[in-house]
Amino acid sequence: MISLLEVAERARSGPKMDEKKWNLSLFRKMQELTKEHDLVYSGPELFFDVDDSYCDAAFQAAVDFLVDMGVYCVTSNRVIQFTEDEVREAAREAPKEAIVGEGRDVRVIRKREVEDRKPVSIITGGHCPWFEDLMPLPLFVKSLAGAGRADIVEGFNFIKVDGRDVYDLPMAAYAAKRELAWMREGVQKAGRPGMAITYYPILTEASTLIAPIDPVSGLRRTDGILLSTLPDMKVEYDLLTAAIVYEEYGSFKQNGGAFAYIGGFCGGVEGAIIETIAKALAAWMVYRDVIQYSGEPTRLSVWTTIEERMKMEKTKVEAAQEGLPIVWSAFTVHNALCRNSNIIRFGLLSPIGLGGLETDSEERLLANSVAYIANTVLGANLGLVRWTAAEIEFAAEVSDATIKAGIKREDIRDIVQKAYERVRGKVAPGVYDERMLAYRDSQAWFGTFQRCYDFVRQRPTKSYLENREKVRKYLTDLGLELI
Amino acid sequence: MSKEGYIERLRQAVLNYDEEAAKESAEEALKAGVDPVEAIERGLAAGIREVGEKFHRGEVFLPHVVLAADAMTAATGVLEPAIPKDRGFKRVTIVLGTVEGDIHDIGKNVVAMMMKAAGFNVQDLGKDVKIDVFIEKAKEVNADIIGVSSLMTTTMPYQRELIRELERLGLRERFKVMVGGGPVTREWAENIGADGYGRDAKEAVESAKQLLGIKSEG
Repeated sequence: MISLLEVAERARSGPKMDEKKWNLSLFRKMQELTKEHDLVYSGPELFFDVDDSYCDAAFQAAVDFLVDMGVYCVTSNRVIQFTEDEVREAAREAPKEAIVGEGRDVRVIRKREVEDRKPVSIITGGHCPWFEDLMPLPLFVKSLAGAGRADIVEGFNFIKVDGRDVYDLPMAAYAAKRELAWMREGVQKAGRPGMAITYYPILTEASTLIAPIDPVSGLRRTDGILLSTLPDMKVEYDLLTAAIVYEEYGSFKQNGGAFAYIGGFCGGVEGAIIETIAKALAAWMVYRDVIQYSGEPTRLSVWTTIEERMKMEKTKVEAAQEGLPIVWSAFTVHNALCRNSNIIRFGLLSPIGLGGLETDSEERLLANSVAYIANTVLGANLGLVRWTAAEIEFAAEVSDATIKAGIKREDIRDIVQKAYERVRGKVAPGVYDERMLAYRDSQAWFGTFQRCYDFVRQRPTKSYLENREKVRKYLTDLGLELI
Repeated sequence: MSKEGYIERLRQAVLNYDEEAAKESAEEALKAGVDPVEAIERGLAAGIREVGEKFHRGEVFLPHVVLAADAMTAATGVLEPAIPKDRGFKRVTIVLGTVEGDIHDIGKNVVAMMMKAAGFNVQDLGKDVKIDVFIEKAKEVNADIIGVSSLMTTTMPYQRELIRELERLGLRERFKVMVGGGPVTREWAENIGADGYGRDAKEAVESAKQLLGIKSEG
């Protein structure tokens, strides 16, 4: 397996290339590979009926991309090239298991297969900013870590710490240490002192990536760090530096940026699929990311909240159709990686959109449930960042019931279509990001959590439990044993 | 060939992403006595606007906009020097970049392309750009707008610092400042005293036009 030092060497000695030339070359290569491997996307009617041979062809196209093009280092403006043997070796040698956490809180995170009977692993946490005027972060983390099925908790960054703006390296390094200290305090309060924490970088400078290392009260060897690849198959020195440091220190690495942009330099749906698969392989080879949020190409479009999305003047058909290529391509990527690599994947693919205006609404819980079912069957683990403990526990329940009921890939279409009929008009497939609300109004954003979870009494809210019962009954009628 | 013929050739060269053809068409148009301003506005700008609209509809992708912009740049490189200085023709110039400490540029790249598609002269400084580099470039090219992108909450404060530095240097009134990027909100833009904000590339272009009193097409 190619070593990180070898990668670093190639980053400084590989062929020099102007970044614009790389971007345009990437596009041409994606077009060429799409034709060569017969990957042309036929349209939304395919929904998620992905064909295994198509997925295998997409995987080969991704291997070919890495062999023909490599990845681009934006720091050195050089191309890191790989041989086909190296790429295929990487796909084989990515570990099928990662051991995270310590003591009685140690967990084994496994690669799952399609229709796997193994239970899912769950990552919870932030992957977003936290705001000092909300509740103390350790208490919020305590609530998440209190969900017994959560295996890893991912951190938060900050706009202010101790009342001071967080930017520039000194403050960012301080904020990095505070993040880990507060996360550690939170898991300890939950009675899970050894629970694995993934550091969510404050900045992507090497010094702030390394700052929180502290085997006692900071980032331990059994914790992890998010080192994400950039769009358009790009990597950079600071993250490579951190990868090398953490390789020796022992922490696991996690990729939070495996998606590609439909409409960007990769081109259309097909290019986004190839890039997403290639990025998963590249993240393992270049940063040693053993855990990956993978599989969901997205669009180059405005990031909105769900509420804004539903207010947009689109017909229901248009809104649904806009989401379908994303759903289909995400299923394709999941399946391609599952069949052809050992990469451990987490996702939260949403076949009908993360809909429902309110986070405790029946529509939202049902849309979420469909996502849990689909991801479980397709071989992903569950990435539930920015959810509450109530939803983590429900996700585990629905996922376990899916496995127990023996739901197959071909059953998902029926479940999704029935669920979609139930929530039609109340969900908004497409691209949105509730962090936009956090940036505008942190109190309102936190209010969306409070709808589901009472942080004072540390239990789900009455409205959440009532709607959860409705959804449980509905899913039971569909064949899952939840009641 | 008629004047309209030359103008249409320029438009087609942009629509076909043909840099060579755009340059040749510009040279021939000048030789034939076509007014260079008209050639730019009715030929090249019309072509790039159409590409921009196609991109927004999802019919073409970002690389197409890049290639169309390259074709337009090749042609304007021939036409602009031929415009008499007393015509007072000046394309809107925007200096654009991602702030210091931030290496994310996909959003900024889309804005750059859409600004070019709108006919603006875009000076793209890339990513991880220090405040004084923004300001020096803006002075050098006599920019109308400085556009500052940030994709991380921890780099957003540099947008505020750039505005403060312009004030310190007595240059605040000389340049309009626009901000944008994933975590950047309209409220943040107003709080820091930015002149304009765009939630996405399309809105950024409209905001830039509004700032400069330019009427939108169609």
